[in-house]
Amino acid sequence: MILLKHELRSNFRSLLIWAGCVGFGCLGCLLLFEGIKDSIEPMAELYGKMGAFSVALGMDKLNVASMEGYFATEIALIFAVGGAMFAAMTGAVMLSKEEEGHTAEFLYTLPFDRVSVVFWKYGAMALLILLFQLICIVAIALGLAGAGESLDGKTLALYYGSQLLMQLEVGSVCFLLSALCRKKQIGAALGFSVFLYMADVMCRIVPDLEILKYATPFYFSNAADIFVNKAVESAPALIGLGVLLASPVLSAAIYQKRDISA
Amino acid sequence: MERSEEKRYAIEICDLVKFYGKKAGADGISLRVEEGDIFGFLGPNGAGKSTAIRCMLGILRSYEGEIRILSMDGRRQRREILSQVGYMPSEAMFYPSMKVKDVIRLAADARGRECEKEAEKICAQLEVNTEKRIRELSLGNRKKVSIVCAMQHKPRLLVLDEPTSGLDPLMQEVFFELICEYNRQGTTCFLSSHVLPEVKKYCRNAAFIRDGKIIRTDSVENLSRSGLRRIRLWKQGREQRFDYTGETNGLLHKLAQMKPEDVLIEEPSLDELFLHYYEEEKGGKA
Repeated sequence: MILLKHELRSNFRSLLIWAGCVGFGCLGCLLLFEGIKDSIEPMAELYGKMGAFSVALGMDKLNVASMEGYFATEIALIFAVGGAMFAAMTGAVMLSKEEEGHTAEFLYTLPFDRVSVVFWKYGAMALLILLFQLICIVAIALGLAGAGESLDGKTLALYYGSQLLMQLEVGSVCFLLSALCRKKQIGAALGFSVFLYMADVMCRIVPDLEILKYATPFYFSNAADIFVNKAVESAPALIGLGVLLASPVLSAAIYQKRDISA
Repeated sequence: MERSEEKRYAIEICDLVKFYGKKAGADGISLRVEEGDIFGFLGPNGAGKSTAIRCMLGILRSYEGEIRILSMDGRRQRREILSQVGYMPSEAMFYPSMKVKDVIRLAADARGRECEKEAEKICAQLEVNTEKRIRELSLGNRKKVSIVCAMQHKPRLLVLDEPTSGLDPLMQEVFFELICEYNRQGTTCFLSSHVLPEVKKYCRNAAFIRDGKIIRTDSVENLSRSGLRRIRLWKQGREQRFDYTGETNGLLHKLAQMKPEDVLIEEPSLDELFLHYYEEEKGGKA
């Protein structure tokens, strides 16, 4: 618990900056909707018939001139990519920052066993992701209220749940990366999260790459799919859950045996 | 590992081997430090002092050999060991954005102990400003924070890795006063250093380490009385210098044969002793 509090305190500023940027972005775009709705309307049909581009952004399924379509194609993109980047960055620094910052000799000579360090640091990462989500959800709710719009609560809850799973999966993989590295791999982590988003886009456009849908958590958490089907595709989501559970176990196993550089 | 019935050891290291790639950081280190001792661990930079300490504290895991700290197994009882050990690393690094008081509190909380009074006492003695952030501190002041973190919980064993580097002479005095005070209360002190005078002044026993090997372990008194003597003699207005190792009678006999007009027999400094033991070790191996 001491480590959890310590990590939350250390990452609080980063959380506020990221959640503020993404949340404010979502809020701003939602408030713009009322003003741009009329100008989007004539183009909505065109947006839906732009072939691969429309498929990639989910505009073939939903009307972007409706709040549901606008939310699933525009707001969800900011929320998903921003959230994944935050999760990736948070996970990637959790363990490796101690060695890079030369604080490992202080932390690992306190009476914590390494498994508990991994456990509490993983818990802190998960909690930071959850707090990020909550801040963004509040911002989105304010945006919807400000725009005088509403969305189906059940679908929205399903979407937020899938987003949480997606961000935790991205964070978990990057957490594993941080158990393997002695330096903070922020660039690699951010690149990894963007790659996962691109993998989702590609597997939707190129039929031969459909298998990628099992590898990228952006697939099962895609807002357009969830708003149309009112469900989350279970197989990729279960794989995500498996990754999420395996990652801390693997991280602990690696970290337990590793020499820490001071 | 052979255990003595009468003596209790704070540190027992048996055949410690640690390689960094092909380079040996520790090459068969065996060492025993009695409880209640102030033990000096002497060696030049890169000799393997920090490697041995990091193995003792479990920061390094992939080593061969056996380590027992306070009669506990170094591999399996690491948590219990660390709760009774205070460690001051050679480079004191903390979280830059944290305040000094928060770092001290974190170290105390990790041990689940209320150490506020002791921490306040040490901070006052070392003149530590607890309201400052770590990033605002000089190396010397970070060292002071490290001393507080290592001592506030009154550990049974203090492991100090080059503790005085970065501390001004006045603070070094205060620091050693603290060490002696804790030692009087029963704390064993393991002092790794390359500053020989401080070891001679404060330690009862010491070990010399070089290239990952222990060259010699003995009481500081015996190490100082190695039988090595620096001889300066004057004969017919010319000065001659030589080193002598062995019985005093032999030296007197040799001097009588040389018939000097004047002679000066000196004890070597610990620096010279270190070189002497090192040369002896090399000679023995050759």
